[in-house]
Amino acid sequence: MSLAIPFLPATVLQSADVAGRRKPEGVRLAEDEWGRLMSAAQAGNGGAYRRLLADLTVWLGRYFARRLPAGEVDDAVQETLLAVHRNRHTYDPAYPLGPWLGAIAKRKWIDQLRALERRSAEMLTDTIATPDHEAAITSATVLSSLMSQLRPAQSQVILLVKVQGYSIQDASRETGQSVSAVKVNIHRGLGRLTNLVSKTNDVE
Amino acid sequence: MSNEGFINALSAGLTPVRRRSVRRETLVLAALGALELALFVAVASTRADMTNAITHPLMWWKLGGLTLLVGISVFTALRSLSPGAFPRRGLVLIGSTAGLIAAIGAFINPGIATDMPMLNRLAPMHGLTCTACIIALSVPMLAVLAVFMRRGASTHPEATALAIGIGSGSWGALVFALRCPMNDPLYILLWYCVACATVTVLARLVLPRITHL
Repeated sequence: MSLAIPFLPATVLQSADVAGRRKPEGVRLAEDEWGRLMSAAQAGNGGAYRRLLADLTVWLGRYFARRLPAGEVDDAVQETLLAVHRNRHTYDPAYPLGPWLGAIAKRKWIDQLRALERRSAEMLTDTIATPDHEAAITSATVLSSLMSQLRPAQSQVILLVKVQGYSIQDASRETGQSVSAVKVNIHRGLGRLTNLVSKTNDVE
Repeated sequence: MSNEGFINALSAGLTPVRRRSVRRETLVLAALGALELALFVAVASTRADMTNAITHPLMWWKLGGLTLLVGISVFTALRSLSPGAFPRRGLVLIGSTAGLIAAIGAFINPGIATDMPMLNRLAPMHGLTCTACIIALSVPMLAVLAVFMRRGASTHPEATALAIGIGSGSWGALVFALRCPMNDPLYILLWYCVACATVTVLARLVLPRITHL
């Protein structure tokens, strides 16, 4: 929602997660504005809808840029916009739009990851020009392989709290684990990760 | 297509939409349930000794437990049809409730001889008929909930499908319980669970495939 609240630093917006984490005041205001725009769109106001989709495109671009290879971001943004369009009747204006949008974006992210996995076996030509994402991809691969060696309950809460930035309470709500179980799983999981990394000669 | 062009295409000729309403969907389900119940009682009637049976704790355990399961499951399913609603807590509650109902059943005196051979108590042939009836009676509720799921936007379709399956199966069992003459908690637990599990597995396998966010 950077267009609607120019006073808010982009970094704050980038770091804000609409899927339920505690958010700065500016982001909450932005979500309220999104809710009003969506409410108007549900009533058939095309101008409000165009403005909302433009704002969501900015936010979704940032959301997917941190989660997907650069070549997949536009596809993911448009898939999510399409899902927002198809399901706009399910939005309840009594609630902020953020969690609603965040849930759709997360689902689309998972769909894109599955599609990427399916396509991973396909041959690529040498002529595709893309920015270098080697370091990021290597980190993601290493992290993924390390996380797969943890218990699911541990890897889930570590990803939520340490990677996606959820609070302990939000991670507890999301996973169904108690707050103390989340803390214990993070502590033990990080300990296990440290052991795994220290036993590895060259993680790359 | 560029994002701008895509946005223009989506917003061109935008028409008003009717908002999804959990209350409206609940009312539709309640009306469907009432209709199915009335038709069932009119066509198949209740068990012959209903006036006596209704005074027995076993009947209250059966009807009360199933009503509770239907309520929690349908509430969980409907709530999960909006993005952002996470049905895991509802599913945990459903599982706990089912366990509690089963545990209570162990303490109810069925008022029949329980020292019969196990096979006699379970009455497999009768049990299979019960199972088939329950599955058939759950179909209307399952179909309507499937329509709601297709029209809604569940971001956890597998979990939503489970809640729908449990709710529909429990509803079928609740309707059939009015007719079922069996008074053995063991029989009821086994065959009603088999029927509910069948409907749930069916819903879990089919519903996520026919829905698309």
